[in-house]
Amino acid sequence: MEDRIIEFANVLRRNGVRVSLSENMDAFRALEVIGIQDPYLFRNALRTTLIKRSSDVKPFEELFDFFFMGIGQAIDALDRRIMEELGLTPEQFQRLLEQIQKLLKEMEGELSPLTRALLTGNQGELERLLRDAANQQWEAGSPNRFRLTPYTLMAAGLQLDRVQTEIERFKSMLQMLAESGEDLSNVMRYLDERMRDLNKLLREIIQQEQRKRAVEPSDPSQRGSFADKSFSFYTEDDIRRMNEAVTRLAQRLKNRLSVRRKKAARGRFNVKATLRRNLQYGGVPFHIELDRRKKTKPQVMILCDISDSVLNASRFMLQFVYSVQDLYAKVRSFVFVSDIGEVTKLFEEHEIHHAVQTALKGEVIDVFSHSNFGRAFELFFKNYFAAVTSRTTVLIIGDGRNNYNRPNEWVLREIQQKAKQLIWLNPESRMTWGVGDSEMPRYLPYCDVTEECRNINQLYKVVDLIVP
Amino acid sequence: MFQSVDAVVTGLSSQSYICNKNVATVVYLGTQLQKPILVEGPAGVGKTELGKVLAGALGMELIRLQCYEGLDEAKSLYEWEYAKQLLYTQILKDKIGEVLQGTQTLQEAVECIANQDGVFFSDRFLLPRSLLKALLADQPSVLLIDEVDKSDAEFEAFLLEVLSDFQITVPEIGTLKAKHIPLVVLTSNNSRELSDALKRRCLHLYLDFPDSEREMEIIKLKIPGVGDQLGREVVQLLHRVRKLDLKKTPSISETLDWVKALTLLNAKQLDGELVEQTLSTLMKYEADIRKAHQELKAYLAERKARQGPSAGDSDKDHLH
Repeated sequence: MEDRIIEFANVLRRNGVRVSLSENMDAFRALEVIGIQDPYLFRNALRTTLIKRSSDVKPFEELFDFFFMGIGQAIDALDRRIMEELGLTPEQFQRLLEQIQKLLKEMEGELSPLTRALLTGNQGELERLLRDAANQQWEAGSPNRFRLTPYTLMAAGLQLDRVQTEIERFKSMLQMLAESGEDLSNVMRYLDERMRDLNKLLREIIQQEQRKRAVEPSDPSQRGSFADKSFSFYTEDDIRRMNEAVTRLAQRLKNRLSVRRKKAARGRFNVKATLRRNLQYGGVPFHIELDRRKKTKPQVMILCDISDSVLNASRFMLQFVYSVQDLYAKVRSFVFVSDIGEVTKLFEEHEIHHAVQTALKGEVIDVFSHSNFGRAFELFFKNYFAAVTSRTTVLIIGDGRNNYNRPNEWVLREIQQKAKQLIWLNPESRMTWGVGDSEMPRYLPYCDVTEECRNINQLYKVVDLIVP
Repeated sequence: MFQSVDAVVTGLSSQSYICNKNVATVVYLGTQLQKPILVEGPAGVGKTELGKVLAGALGMELIRLQCYEGLDEAKSLYEWEYAKQLLYTQILKDKIGEVLQGTQTLQEAVECIANQDGVFFSDRFLLPRSLLKALLADQPSVLLIDEVDKSDAEFEAFLLEVLSDFQITVPEIGTLKAKHIPLVVLTSNNSRELSDALKRRCLHLYLDFPDSEREMEIIKLKIPGVGDQLGREVVQLLHRVRKLDLKKTPSISETLDWVKALTLLNAKQLDGELVEQTLSTLMKYEADIRKAHQELKAYLAERKARQGPSAGDSDKDHLH
């Protein structure tokens, strides 16, 4: 049993669930207490010791099912099917099995354990034999020089041909008995079915093993390059990993904030508060009270270009800002292509991924039009400029490719004069700024900070800039 | 201590807490392995309550530590009672004078006092806070660390030491070891992800909203006067409401409040007007209430369709 648990923990790890050694030991200790008789308790004990994140519960349940139950259930189902096929009730089926047992005893010659287990309906033994064969198969690393399928290899390992001849022999013996007048038609049919079942089970277990081993452990050497990979080349998989990275980044910043909070209590000596606090000690200053440093939470307005070219950068920026929303006094987000629309409300009411998806899908503004920064800025000035205050950080994400429309850089001038700072993040390389229809040189003078933001490393840098 | 998983179920139900076997298994393992239990889940499913009833069922003292941002060792572990120390020195002034009588120089006097300072830094002047109290208790106790996710990461790290070794070092006194290892229950609302190190040391339990049957059981247990039909309808409606996209999903405690209100108003079954008046006990946001209303309308319409016109008549009777 220990082996099975350790193997199960390995399977969990391969599927992205973190299981530490100490947790593994806990599982053993828990099983010592609980025992392994009750499958329900067994499952609970493993879940509570091995699984520590609610998001890991689902993979656990799935893996548990097919690791501990998988083939057993398949065997069960096959038994039921045979019963149906032969039109037998469970009791009749049981009697049939007994009859076979008796007949097997009469047969001369040694039977292989697999044949015996298969014919007498010994589920536990059958499962063990198959599982062992599968393990041997995979652990040996199968040299597989002849390009044999796993099925062929397994069949050889289990000596399937021997089982076949044994069953044939059994059948011929039954034939002889049948000639002497006994009714054995049911038994004969049962044998045929069983042989077919064995093949099915074999395929089933091969599939399971393949699934179990399918997920390769992630390659740590890829991580570094991932951080430097440009957003524009992201695949689906990268986006998923990026989501995780952004969440981690947000967590890191929140932790840093708690450190800052401690520092906040290290201001100048506050005489009044110290006296008041220490009155109970007769004025002996046991507790020193310091002025709290005031921290001002910044207000942030984000303007995200969501045309195709910068989609990924915008997506992560939006996601990031909303993950750390409690660091800000107020966050308002806008998306634009040539229209501009506010998505703040959308973000407040929906779960973050859903909200980002909706914002980018074009339900707020038309995303299929051509980028027009000038128009978007003008509209922003008309509708939302009043909301910009001296404490606002305005963050624009876009490539500045204006399709030769009017750039309207005066809006940025106005914003810069009124806001605390204006930051422009460009997902394009600095070399290409100003080439073609890029209006970056016109916008640049009015931005306090302009940064390339093409990959996660640069995103980290930018985040340091906007978080106080 | 509990003898088996079933004993946990009966023990907790004697405290009017209905739990399934999953919860019972974890609790049983927690008591047997002496490991802390980390309970996670949405607000209002009975995480804190679990700690409380555990104490009740085991007949132990409950020591509770409410976590919040800025909670530190001084507030959770111990503090020196300065005021008491001061008072003692004031009262014992004469005695101290006597002790110092024989000394000639300042040096000698300081030396003399230094020999005695153990008096002032002893258990007597140590004000134990929740954590230390739980460790030093003469009887085994249940330590409930509530909303651990609200505390800072530093406090969490500090908690690790206490929870794995069950001992605390006070610089002036030395290391204090737990007399009895307390049964620790930590609850978390998942407002931030807890560190893996802490999770590794705990048994994990995810509490979710109960299924209809269990919720019905809970309602009947807590509010004995509730009618069968009302209870059933409330549970049916709630399960539909919880599937909606709400700011705050109605919890069990809110459900109980609502049913209590309905029972007080003598409702035998749900009807539109009555629900409208009482829905604010269940939902706390205007937008949520609006959404729930629509769901309620759909539910009532469906019920009407199911029961046929006769049920509609009885609705009217009830209104007047």
